[in-house]
Amino acid sequence: MFKKHIISGMLAVLAISITLHAQEFKIGSKDVQVHGFGTQGFVHTNDNNWLTMNTSGTGSGAFTDAGLNLGAQITSNFRVGGQVYDRKLGQLGDWHPLLDWAMGDYRLKPWLGFRAGKVKTVLGLFTDSQDMDFANTFALLPQSVYPIDLRDASIAHLGGDIYGREKLGHNLGSIAYTAYGGRRSDNMHSGYPYLLSGIAGITLNSYGGPVFGGDLRWNPPVRGLTVGISRLNEMITGKGSYNGQLGIPAQPKYWENSKHDWTNQYYGRFVKDKLHAESEYRRYLRDQIIFSGLSWVETDIRGWYVGGGYQVNKWLEAGSYYSHYRIFPSGGAGVNASYPDAQTHDFDKVVTAKLTLKQYVTVKVEGHFMDGNGSALYPAGFYSNVNPNGFSANTNALVVRTGFSF
Amino acid sequence: MTKLLYAFLLVASVLIFTAQAQAQAIVIANPSVKSADVSKSDLREVFTGAASSLKDGSHVTPVLLKSGAAHDEFLTGYIGKNDTAFRAGWRSLVFSGQASMPKSLDSEAAVVEFVAHNPGAIGYISKATPHEGVKVIAVK
Repeated sequence: MFKKHIISGMLAVLAISITLHAQEFKIGSKDVQVHGFGTQGFVHTNDNNWLTMNTSGTGSGAFTDAGLNLGAQITSNFRVGGQVYDRKLGQLGDWHPLLDWAMGDYRLKPWLGFRAGKVKTVLGLFTDSQDMDFANTFALLPQSVYPIDLRDASIAHLGGDIYGREKLGHNLGSIAYTAYGGRRSDNMHSGYPYLLSGIAGITLNSYGGPVFGGDLRWNPPVRGLTVGISRLNEMITGKGSYNGQLGIPAQPKYWENSKHDWTNQYYGRFVKDKLHAESEYRRYLRDQIIFSGLSWVETDIRGWYVGGGYQVNKWLEAGSYYSHYRIFPSGGAGVNASYPDAQTHDFDKVVTAKLTLKQYVTVKVEGHFMDGNGSALYPAGFYSNVNPNGFSANTNALVVRTGFSF
Repeated sequence: MTKLLYAFLLVASVLIFTAQAQAQAIVIANPSVKSADVSKSDLREVFTGAASSLKDGSHVTPVLLKSGAAHDEFLTGYIGKNDTAFRAGWRSLVFSGQASMPKSLDSEAAVVEFVAHNPGAIGYISKATPHEGVKVIAVK
């Protein structure tokens, strides 16, 4: 019965993809474009429930997302647009639609442009394009760097960007830059609030704060090669209530805030004909005051991956990556900073087959072979909320994901 | 030896045919575009959304064909992507808020018409398609 529902869901995605096409209408003399995308996934694990879904046993199809996009080119230099995004990923998202981004973009010169509003954050190769399943080889991007359960922690900021691109002299290629500042505001149906509700009895009502950072990428004179570096600084405050679950007295007006939070990301990508290869390293340091000033926690998270894909023929792309996640936790009262080794790492070996059935319809079949679950102190895909009997050290997963875009 | 000769002739024919096919797609632009020529890398950047102007500073707006031989030849010869990857790249830019999708037109005549009447427009057609009112841009 359950599998029947999953198959029905995937067939529905295929049917929708056949009937939907990009649309255009006019407001005044301006063309307004309408685009959209959606995916339906199924995940089965041999052990441990993953990504807040009940994936062990028969598996879970609670893995759906969709986006709807409107945009208009007002003048040759000025563009406006916005996108609504919604998802259901196990216990996350829960069909609460979000304004993904909405902004105006003015490009004064090739080397100087401005974006203002709610803007997608440029952080590494794929942060701003991680939802675009049709464009990615993998059903799940390397979770050490792009954790899908923490998607909205770095997806966008309310503020502004300065960006541009310039060719370098002496045939040195070109550089592109983005500098940004604004405010991050997390969805309360995201991984971190969900984790706190389970392991600490903390219910967050808000989580966010000022962010600023930048990205610099270089396209050297080797065609298809990109290398770059990103930096993100954050000053985050969380507010809510705490029920006394960890022995520290209950706090009806709980708060936590950053002492020092930052992310550094280094990356490289090479694309040639039918082949692409990429690698990224991300270090995320969280140093926070928690329990309304009574304790502290520091998590030093280091992730990297190396992967690639090859377009075998018109329909089939084969891909693989190795994703390496390691968390170094430490903390004060109420924080268990001593964890078994399996809870401080997740080494994931992945193989994928991506089928492009029509130009706008894809089906991916992916195998994950994970050593460790990285479940200590900060979300990494495995949550005690849905694993009440504890964790096994290793997990194998089958992910099937179909998607469309128009 | 004869088989080797046949194989050589076959490969040579394919290469000659490919080169000729590649030469069939030409790049056209609105007369407001100052440049008479464009490098292959600049053309690739414009048609993949990485740049919106040419070396001389002219702002350009790409216009695409929905399908057809000229479209395939243009993508193969100048962009280095197949149609699926090419359009997926544009959709990525659209969904991340970095660009608007270029117009995709049904026929080469429609591309000529659009390019002729829209300052900054740049497109591609088959060499044999009549193209009055537009300028041909040489690709170096």
